Amino acid sequence: MSKCVAVAIVTAVAAGMLSPVAHAQDEKWNNLAPPLSTYKNKKPGGPAPRREIAGIWDTGWIGGSGNPEHPATLAGGRAGAVGGQEDETGIANPLPYTAKGLEALKANKPSNGVRQVDFALTNDPATICDPLGFPYMFTWEMRTINVTQSPTQVVMINPFYGGYRIIWTDGRTLPKDPDLRWNGYSVGRWTDDYTFVVETTGLNPRSWLDHAGRPHSEQLRVEETYHRVDRDTVELTMKITDPVMYTEPWLAMNKFLLHLMPPDFDIRENFCSPTENKSYNDDYGNAAIQNPSK
Amino acid sequence: MGHPLRVVALVSSLLAVSVPLLAHHGAASFDTSGAMVTVKGTVTEYIWTNPHVLIKVDVKDATGNVTNWVVEVWNPVTQANRGWTKTTFKPGDEISVDVTAAKNNRPIGMIRGNIVINGKPFKEIGG
Repeated sequence: MSKCVAVAIVTAVAAGMLSPVAHAQDEKWNNLAPPLSTYKNKKPGGPAPRREIAGIWDTGWIGGSGNPEHPATLAGGRAGAVGGQEDETGIANPLPYTAKGLEALKANKPSNGVRQVDFALTNDPATICDPLGFPYMFTWEMRTINVTQSPTQVVMINPFYGGYRIIWTDGRTLPKDPDLRWNGYSVGRWTDDYTFVVETTGLNPRSWLDHAGRPHSEQLRVEETYHRVDRDTVELTMKITDPVMYTEPWLAMNKFLLHLMPPDFDIRENFCSPTENKSYNDDYGNAAIQNPSK
Repeated sequence: MGHPLRVVALVSSLLAVSVPLLAHHGAASFDTSGAMVTVKGTVTEYIWTNPHVLIKVDVKDATGNVTNWVVEVWNPVTQANRGWTKTTFKPGDEISVDVTAAKNNRPIGMIRGNIVINGKPFKEIGG
């Protein structure tokens, strides 16, 4: 094998490591992001563009119980998957609940973590295909998002549950007494050439903060910091401030990595359909209830 | 009390390596001790939709009685990343899968691996 042929093969293999999985047919559609392990030895992707966040971004994250920084599972183990606890005693990174926050937590019955109940018995708004809203759409299964950018706004499309966000960058301020919205009201600004900060308020408390039933009030304020490390990588840090439910601000994400996909990457659809959910419960979820007589 | 289907064999009482639990919903209804059973039979339906992909399998016991098992994995997006497609299974396929079974002894379970389709092991991808 000639040296140049060998170099070409090595180059092709290396390029493929960060490319979506190709299929023989329809390779332009329903692309698959590379597995999470691909990113472990990821090399810097070159200099970041100035004040630019547009692109298709994948996290490799397929969810879990709670949010990335505060999973609702016991330290080290499977025990957290059993559920049945009234509160979150014993989890690895507990949250600073107020008395009201703890009461609200107990009223939420998640299908994950130390407090989980049977899937068919949860009162998770996601289970009936309510909008996930923000920040639930990111804290649960933030997989691949499509971000576009204009001089006046950044639009984020998250196909999981058909979520979208409009982040205004035209200099407006947040509303003082808004009608509450599932996705809230967001404004963003560049604090330097590579750091985009988003503030969001006016969030509907019918949504949860995450998949473990963490509550929020109308006073929730979410601050996201998108730091573009290089051309291919963004670090996302998300701060939760809600004095009604939590005694102090806390991070739901801390330098959570977003990886740039090719510009023609086609994200798979991932809706929540009430009729599909009903069929699922008819076939499976209701049969799993431990004591159907209750 | 054992499972109603004797043809379903207990293949492992305690696994040395824990298996991941579904993130979309947890395992409160399922045996999380690590015990698994093998569901072996004929596919009657393959449901490639959210919230979770389901496979229905007719399992025949030693006396000829047939029970329809329903076994699940994650949603189609996650399964696609693991190499599954809308045609991975079809009615009539003879399959075998290891599952975590429901605590209430209903014929349902969460697929954990060792998937065999018409005699051929099915290898998942990704990670």
